[in-house]
This record gives sequence, C-alpha cells and structure tokens, in this order.
Amino acid sequence: MKKVLALVLTLAMLLSLAFVSTASAAEITDLRTYETTAREMETWNIHSSQLANDLNVLCNLIDGLLTNDAHGALVGNAAKEWYTEDGGKTWTFVLNDGMKWVDKDGNEKADVVAEDWVTGLEWVLNFSKNGASNTSMPIEMIVGAADYYEYTKYLAETYQRIVDDGVTVPDELRKYIDPSCFDTTVFKEMVGIATPDEKTIVYTCTDELSYFPSVATYNCLYPLSAKLIEEVGVEGYQGITWENLWYSGPYTVTSYVHQNEKILTANPNYWNADNIKRFNTVTIKMVESQDVAYNLFQTGELDHVTLTQSTLSTIYASESHEFHNNLSEARPTKYSYQIHLVYDKNNEDGTKDTNWNTAIANEAFRLSWYYGLDLTPYLARTNAINPLACQNFVYTGNAVSVNGSGVDYTQMVRDELGLQYSNETYARVDAEKAAAYKAQAMEELTAKGVTFPVEIDYYIQGNSQTAKDSADTLAQVFSDCLGDDYVKLNILTYVSSPTNEVRIPQLASIYINGWGADFADPINFLGQETYGEDNAYYSMNYSMINNATDEDLIATYTEFTQMVNDAKAITDDQDARYAAFAKAEAYFLNHALAIPCNYEVAWELTCINPYSKVYSAYGIQAYRYVNWETNDAIYTTDEVAALAEAYNSAE
Amino acid sequence: MEKTVSELEQPIVDLEVDRSAVDKNTTTKYSRGRVHVHARAQMPEKQLFSFAEYEAKAAEYTGSSEYSYWKSVWRSFLKKRAAVGMFIIFLLLFLFTFVAAAIGKYDVFNLRIDNSLMFTSPNSEFWFGTDNLGRDYWSQVWHATRTSIILAVSVSFGQIFVGVVIGLVWGYVRKLDRFFTELYNLIDNIPVIIYMTLIALMIGKTTLVMGAAMIGFGWLGTARNIRNLVFMYRDREYNLASRCLGTSLWRILYRNILPYMVSVIILRLALAIPGTIAYETTLTYLGLMDISTPSLGILLRNARSYFLDYPYLLIFPAVIVSIITITFYLVGNAFSDACDPRNHV
Amino acid sequence: MFLYVLKRLLQSVVTILLVVTIVFLLLRLLPTDYYFTEDELMKLTEQQKHDRLQAAGFLDHPLTQLVRFYKQLFTEFDLGTSRRIQANQPVISVIGSKFEVSMRLGLISLGISLVLGVCFGVLQARYKDGIFDHLGTAYTVFVNAVPSLVTYSLVLAFGARVLGLPSMYSMRKPELSSILPVVCLSIGSIAGYMLWTRRYMVDELNKDYIRLAKLKGMSTRSVMYRHVLKNAFVPLAQYLPYSILLTVGGSLLVERFFSVPGMGPLLTDAIARYDTTVVQGVVMLYATLGILGVFLGDVLMTLIDPRIHLGKKGGTR
Repeated sequence: MKKVLALVLTLAMLLSLAFVSTASAAEITDLRTYETTAREMETWNIHSSQLANDLNVLCNLIDGLLTNDAHGALVGNAAKEWYTEDGGKTWTFVLNDGMKWVDKDGNEKADVVAEDWVTGLEWVLNFSKNGASNTSMPIEMIVGAADYYEYTKYLAETYQRIVDDGVTVPDELRKYIDPSCFDTTVFKEMVGIATPDEKTIVYTCTDELSYFPSVATYNCLYPLSAKLIEEVGVEGYQGITWENLWYSGPYTVTSYVHQNEKILTANPNYWNADNIKRFNTVTIKMVESQDVAYNLFQTGELDHVTLTQSTLSTIYASESHEFHNNLSEARPTKYSYQIHLVYDKNNEDGTKDTNWNTAIANEAFRLSWYYGLDLTPYLARTNAINPLACQNFVYTGNAVSVNGSGVDYTQMVRDELGLQYSNETYARVDAEKAAAYKAQAMEELTAKGVTFPVEIDYYIQGNSQTAKDSADTLAQVFSDCLGDDYVKLNILTYVSSPTNEVRIPQLASIYINGWGADFADPINFLGQETYGEDNAYYSMNYSMINNATDEDLIATYTEFTQMVNDAKAITDDQDARYAAFAKAEAYFLNHALAIPCNYEVAWELTCINPYSKVYSAYGIQAYRYVNWETNDAIYTTDEVAALAEAYNSAE
Repeated sequence: MEKTVSELEQPIVDLEVDRSAVDKNTTTKYSRGRVHVHARAQMPEKQLFSFAEYEAKAAEYTGSSEYSYWKSVWRSFLKKRAAVGMFIIFLLLFLFTFVAAAIGKYDVFNLRIDNSLMFTSPNSEFWFGTDNLGRDYWSQVWHATRTSIILAVSVSFGQIFVGVVIGLVWGYVRKLDRFFTELYNLIDNIPVIIYMTLIALMIGKTTLVMGAAMIGFGWLGTARNIRNLVFMYRDREYNLASRCLGTSLWRILYRNILPYMVSVIILRLALAIPGTIAYETTLTYLGLMDISTPSLGILLRNARSYFLDYPYLLIFPAVIVSIITITFYLVGNAFSDACDPRNHV
Repeated sequence: MFLYVLKRLLQSVVTILLVVTIVFLLLRLLPTDYYFTEDELMKLTEQQKHDRLQAAGFLDHPLTQLVRFYKQLFTEFDLGTSRRIQANQPVISVIGSKFEVSMRLGLISLGISLVLGVCFGVLQARYKDGIFDHLGTAYTVFVNAVPSLVTYSLVLAFGARVLGLPSMYSMRKPELSSILPVVCLSIGSIAGYMLWTRRYMVDELNKDYIRLAKLKGMSTRSVMYRHVLKNAFVPLAQYLPYSILLTVGGSLLVERFFSVPGMGPLLTDAIARYDTTVVQGVVMLYATLGILGVFLGDVLMTLIDPRIHLGKKGGTR
C-alpha cells in the first residue's frame, strides 16, 4: 500500500513539474554563460584587481556600498541610504542590517560592519599590502589618502633597507615600522573615513564631489573583514583563493578550474535573498573562441552567445535558419570610440613630422575630415547588418550622466551640435562643407609648404586580423571620402605594446581609442582633453597638444579648457553643470579637436533579457547576476524589440 | 638472441666496407657485372661462353667507372611516376602563382572592400569567391601561395643544411659531443616560443627576421637525428680503417658517413617544407608573424572562424597546402629510396 | 657506466641552472612597461608604475634579482609567486594544479599512438607496396598535408555536431569529454610513429643480413619481429622517454581548443602576460624533463642495442 501511495505521489509530482515547465515561459534557474580563455581571472583579491575579467566575477561575491540598476541609476546595496549635508564635501553611508561574511559553503564567519570599509580602504592605500593598485581614485578624492599612501611607501622602503642590512626587527617594534603589519589606528587619524557607529561610514572628500557616490560602486571602496586578515594573514589575503575567501554577496564560488569552468552558487546566508532574484547556480565556461561558444550554444550548453561576423551573416542571409528569427542586437558597450588626432607627431627617425603637424593644426583641414568622413563602412566592421546602430557623434559615453529631467547627457550634447542619430543616413556628413573645407585647407596649407597627399600613420596590433581588416576599411573610407590627392592612410603595425612602440616615440598621426567612464560625471571624459593640465590624460599622452606651436590651435584649446573648468566649478546645480559641459563638448567637436567614431554594438542569440541586466557606463557592477529576466527558449527578434521598447518608455 | 644479431652483424660490415668506402675497383666490378647481366639476355649462347683472351693491358686497366651515384639516383627517381608527376604539378603550381596574378581580375595590392559582396561564393567574377570584407579571394590565395612556398623552401633548406653540418660534426667528433649536447640542451630546453616572442618584440617580426629565427632554432631536430645516426656508423671498422689511413675528417664525414644519411636527410627536407607552412600557421595563431602580406598560414587561420559557414574559404588554401605536402612527401620518399645504392642495381 | 651516468646527471643540473639563468636574464631585458596591461598603462601615472614595479622588486639590478631568486630556490624550494596568471599564488601550485590533466591526456594518447602507430608501421613495411601500405601512406600524407589547426577544427566540428561529443573538457565528467582532445592529440603522433616505423623497417629490410636470414630459410615472421623490428625500434626508442616525460608539457593548440585546464597554454599565457616567475618555473620544468628525457633515451638505446657505447672511449678522435 505504501509503495503504491509513494508511486502515485511521485507520479503526481512529476506531472505537476511537467505541467509547470510547459505552461508558461519558464525562467532559467541555472545560468550557463561563457568567457573566452584570454579573459580568465587573475586574482581573487578584489582590492588589488584592476581587471574586468576578475571584477565581473568578484562583484557577485562581495557587496559594495552601492550598485546600479538596469537604467544605470545608483541603488543601494550594502548601504541602504547615502547623503551629503554639505554640498558633497562629506558623504555618509548607512548600512543594512543582518549582513554576514560566509565561507564558500555558506557557513557564517562574521558580521559585516562599518569597520570593514575602513580595513578595506586601509588595505588599498597601504603600499606594502596592495602594491599601489587601485589607489588613483581614493587618492584623488578622499582627504588624507595621498598622505597615508606616501607614508606607508616611505616606511616600506626604509623597513626594506633595514632588513636588507641584516637587522632583525623585534615584533613589538615591527608593528610600528613595517606597514604590512599596520592596523587601522594611524590610518583613521590620517584619512577622511570615520565610523560613528557600527552601521555608519562617513567619507570626507578633497573637494565638493557631487559624483562621489558613483565611486562607491567601485572595488577601491569595497569592505574587507579584519577577521579574515587574522585568519589568513597579510600574504594570505594577497594571494587569496576562492577556497578561503569570505563572501558577502549573492553568490559564493563552489567550483573553480582555471581556464575551464567556475560555478557560482547562490549564497544560502545572503542577507537580501528575499528581495532580489538570483540563479541557483551560474556556470561560467572558458572557451577558446566565439566559434566554440556558438557550438556549445547549438548543443544547448549555453544560454547566450555573441555572434561572429560569419555566423551572423549566415543566419541573417538564410530565412530558414533555425536561429533566423532569434537574432537580437546587444546593447552598446560602455566605450565611446574617438579618432584622436595627434598634434605633435615624430617621424621614425625621431625628427618632427612637420608636414603632418602643420596640416592637423589647420582647422579647415580637421573640419574637412569631420564633415567628409562617412564612417558607415567602418561601422559595418562592428555591426555588419545595422552599421548605423554604432554611430557616435559625441565625445562622452552613453549613460554616464542623466540630468534632473531624465535626459541623457549625450543627448544634451547632440542638441547643442544640432546632430541627431538617424537609422537611414550618417547625419554628420556634409559633402559640400567637406569639399569647401578641403579646398580651403589645400590652399592655406600649400601656402605653408605642406605637401599633398598628407600621410596619416595609423598603427594597429600586428597579429590581429580583425584590426587589419578594420584598418583596411578605414583606409578605404579616407580614400573614398577625402580623395587620394588629399590624404593617404598608412597602416603600420606594432608587436606587443602600443605604448612603448608607438605612443612614447609619438609615431602615430591618429589613434582610435575607446574611453570608458570611471565615475558619473562628464569631467571624466572632457577632463582628459584640456590644455596645459597634468591630469588631462589624452592631452598629455596621445594628442600631445601641449607641444603644439600653432597659435590658432592653442587659442581654440585654451577656450575649450576654460569652458570645461567653468562647468566643473558649478557644484550646486547638477543640471546647469551638465548644460555647461555640453556647451564645452560641442565647442570641442565643432572645432574637430577629436572626431567621434563609433560605439560597439554586437549581435547575439540569448535567453536573457538584455534590458534587465545592470547597465552602467562606469563601475564594476555590470556582471552582477542579479534580477536578470530569462526565458528557457531563445528570445525572438520581436520579443527583444518589445523589451527594448518597454525599457525605453520606462526611462 | 643478441648473439645472433652480432653474428649477423659481422658480414654486413664487410659488405658495406666494399660498397661504401667508395673504392673505385669494387664499384667498377659491380657495374661490369651489371652490364654482363644485361648483355646475357641478348647474346647468343655461343658468345656467352667463349673464352676471353688474356690481355695483360686489359688486366691492368682500372679506368673510371661509368657508374655515377647521382646519375643513378636521378634515374631511379625518374622511374617513380607518381612522385615525378606531383613534382611537375608543384612546379606548375609555383609558376602559376605568377600567372594567376596576371590573369586574375583583381590586383592583390588594390583590393576594394565592399560589404555588400562579403562571403560571395565562387562565381565567374570572383573565381575563388570573396572573403569577409568582400575582397577577391583568388588573388589573395595565389599571392599567399607564392609567399609561403618561397618562405617554406628557403627556411627548410636553411634548417636542413645547418642541421646536417652540425649533426655530422656533433656525432663524429667525440670531443665536441659534450659541447654540442650542452648547446642543444640550452637551446632546446628553452621553449622556442620564448625566443620567438623575444625576437619578435626586440627585433621585429618581418618575414625575413622570423624566417631567420625559424632556421636559427629549427636545425636542432635534424642535427640530433643525424648525430644519432652517425653514432650508429662512426665506430664501424671501415671508418677505423679510413682513420688509420689518415683520411681527413671532412672526407670521412662526406664520403663514409653522409651517404648513409642521404635518405633520411632527403625525407627530413621533404617533410620540413610542409612542416614550415604548418609552423607558420601556428606562429600566426600566436600572433608572431607579420600579417601585412597574406601567406597560406594567415589565410588558414582566418578561414578557421568562417569555414563551417563558408567552406570554400578553407578549401582553396587547404588544397594548395595539401598539394605541396603530398608532393614533398612523395618526392621525399621516392628520392630517399632512389638514394639507396642497393636500389640502383 | 655508473660514473658516466653520474657525470651526465651532474652536467644536467648545471645545464638546467644555465637555462633558467638565461631565461631569467632574457626576461629582464624587456622594457619594464611590458609588465603592465594596456589598461593599466592607460590609467597609471609614471609614479604609480614606478611604485608598482618597486613593490614587485623589478627595479633592482637583474643580478640582484637573480641572486634573490636562487637563494629562495635553494633555501626554501620556492619558485616565487605568480604575478598575473593566478596572482600571488606560488608558482609551484600554479603548475601543480595543471600538469596532472596534461599528463593524463598525454599518456593516454601516447599509448594509443605508440601501439597503433608501430603496429600499422610494421604492417606497412611487412606488406610494402600493398594496399595496406598505400592506405597508411595516404593517412600519413593526409595528416601531414592538412595543418593541425584545420584538422582540429574539423575534429571539433565533426565530433561535436555529428557525434554529439562534448566539445569542451570537463573536470566533472572527464571520460567522455577527453575523447576529442585525445583523438586530436593522437591523430598526428600515430602518423609520426607509422612514418618512422615504416621508414626504419624498410631501411632495415634492405640490409644484407636480412637477405641472408631469409636465404637461410628463416620465416618471414620471425625475421620481421626478431630482427627487423628490433633493429628498427632502436632509433624510435630513443625518443620514447622524452615523449613520455614531455606529455606533462601538454599541447598548446589542443588544450586551447578544448579548454583543457592543462600545461599547454600556460607558457604562452605567461609570456603574453609577462608573468616572469611562471615563465621561469615552467621553463625549469621543461628543461628538467627534456634533459632527463634525452638522457634516459640514450641509456635506453645502449640497453637495446649493445653496439652503441656511450661512456666508453672509442677509437674516434
């Protein structure tokens, strides 16, 4: 009797299971995703990692103060609220209750307390512990951080010298002079971080920083339990592995084989388990290439795949292909690609390339590029089916900043420029203007002794066929749009390091680079291009504008720098600040000081709603496997379009 | 068991002294014998068994042999129809790379990118179809073939030449064995990929530099192979005899030892040529070759990501690589068989 | 013989140390900027770069670094910690976690290819110019003709799409997922063993002592196996210990293709990331195995073929 009952019950269960799984589009409970082997993790130490490969996993394992939502807005994570009472000089974060550190199996180890953020920041800024990783942002933004870093660095050097001289330092003395033994006592006195109680953290900034909370999504402000350091030691945490790491995030790691597979399992002791949606497990497979990933996707071993050019065109061309109706356009990556112009270029023998330097300093010459270059064929390199999805007319990246009325900052710039994206034409091109500027440039420059065609040296990585194909396309765009009598693009190669082989000897005429944001403010982009400022990264390292001699060019740059600094000074009114930045950026682009190039938009087959993922132009939160909407069947093109529409209307 | 082997061993050595010490008299005897055998078939019986008259002059006559080793090798080689045929095909293929550029509709240095034409299957306009950027594949394939053949042949000859010279000295001169073994260990035990990377980083990775580097690190295998074979022959009695007669080192190597190795050398050479092409493919895959001019390795590497959807992109270069390989395999085997004097009779 | 072995072993140690020293110094020739990722180079200032290099000890004189390296090696058997492959993990554990997989796959494939390769090679030589010989030749030619990159792609496509075999190695079910990698590893080496077995056997068959043996009326079978194979195996045997030991090294392409977590891609990965400590460790391992392999090969050769003397001073000059 019992047996029969058991059988009946089992059958009933099975039936009900079957019913559930066929009734509605079920969600995936165990996600299977992939990375290419070149993107394997290098460290499990979130404080020292500066690599997306690591952080894409680590952001699931430990909770930072804040995170982003699918629209890029800041939302609380470990912190339930955050505020400033003095216009951005000090920022207070209040933690949630009930957060625990656990080991990989979910066993409780300790409570998460405010002090953990102090320990974490001390670790980052201690030269002996973290070896100068991830120090840039805290040093720039937090009071006393620079001093503490220099202090530990000085002590570390001194201590090393003493040890090298063969002196044995007794332990009670060592904890004062060896920074790797430091606790947070001195640190708290020197650096602008305080914990009034167990749940509150107060940061004091170097300036009024309205965007400081966006930095709180970064790993440089992640917590670290002092008890973990006690358990494994300083060296142990430097080389921490998944097996002895402490977790406080939605997942723990339960299996890891280097260059093969890692499995994240839902953290059973997660404090916020009831309010967020997680997968039971996330399996990340390391594959050799996108082609292998596509194989795995076909055999049903992966839940999404990014398509290569040839698979995409096959699927797209054949109406009867099993995936023909499943093609969906992925969301743009966070990088905004620009054609950076170099104003101080050398020849290979080290002499100045006067021909190029004179030509590029001429505004008409630059504007003839700006209006003349129809980059559509080049855009087709990233997106062959819908090239114009990659068009980019502004300098700053998408979704970096949004003003009070919900308008994206880049939209404000496009309004200033009077240029809008269109699905039919590449709107920036104006053949008449281009021809006029070309004639003007040729006349003015011939008078200055410039010989035509002007040679453009463009460097690509020597072993990358993709880069070679793209460069060939670009050369053809230059030749078609500007004419062989005017300019000539030379494709040259470097072996390993563009910095050492090209940038430092200043051999290139143009660079095409993408820049991703570090925090939520346009200064993060425009600040890289100002004239005569040491921390303007592109000016100092790429465009070399500070070495330029042409007076008109310098005047234009000075004007732009002034506009940026004026905008930067507005700290009390976010909207006015963004409007001023937009004006400065439009000025920059209207004088073609750099030429916006493209975004990256790929095609994919996916069972994951791309519009439910965290989407942010900055920070490390994009790969949190949290609140993802999924479908056990592959989304169709129409479904994704509907999802996109719903997403955009919710904005 | 072992005894049997060494008992059998004795007579061989004697026989081989006869043949390979290249004593003119013995060789002459051999070839006369051969003529005699041939003649026998045609001569009437009476003549066959007639007494020869004794001539003092003729008995003293030594003269030079009508047997020439290389001529015989060549003659035996020509008998292998398949190998000769393939070799002619290969030569035609190489010549055709020049013709192809002339008869093709597109110039490899002036190809237009046209996204609307990408992955066009072979047709009357694009004889080999187009690649991922809509560029004519015909001109690329033939240009790549020429580049690869020139590279492979020069690198292989370089490798084998250096390898044989070093291998012979290494194996024969005992005093140098230690030195060369250490040198070999030093070079061989540092993975070539490190040298290649460092060379590519510090000197550059033009085809010339990487070709030279391939020779510089590619001779090791051959040298070791030859050294081991030399080991097997160097202590044979006829070499001892030669040494006692004061024959110079190079003459012993060249005359006594090298002939044993000709077949192995030829085979190695023949395999080194396709090997170089394969090696080039791997280096390209690792990003250590210059990709500005197309070579077969580069085309194959690129086709790898497309071939499931567009097999023709793989097939054309793969067929050409296969023809080259098969040619050299057949030619190598035929030639190394032909090099064995026992097959000349 | 014993003295000779001892001497060779001592020499080997010297060679290994030389190899490691050379690699160590070669790596120090690289400009220090190579130690950073392009991302880091983009965002780090000169001062920050200097600080990071200093923290990692790369700013000291190369010889000072070398001395420190050897001191650590000899006192603590410590090869240092990895810089980027698995950051701050001891190099020994990085290698240790990987060589087992490579060795297992390598030994399986070596076993398969040795058995199949030598058997087919013998059959080819036995029935020279017969159908079997031609088939075998066709196979060897095919394998050599098609570049391995293409062969592996074909195996992957066929195995995964047609036979439905796993296209990715999995530690959790290694049996099934080992099939394709082992096939890829074996395809080439079977052809290699076939080619050389046949070559050496045919060379041997043409020798006069074999003719004599046949004339004496020995059976073909006994001639083939007792004399020809034995003699033909001598040059093959020499490479055997080397091949066995080098299975630890794994195969770069195969392991990349099937995501096998083995030694194969470790070296190139380490070079690409300028992880100098791992490069040194791997090179040291390869050097040790390589030298040991050659040495054992020589010893094996003398054991099999009594005509060959290694240690004894012969009549050569």
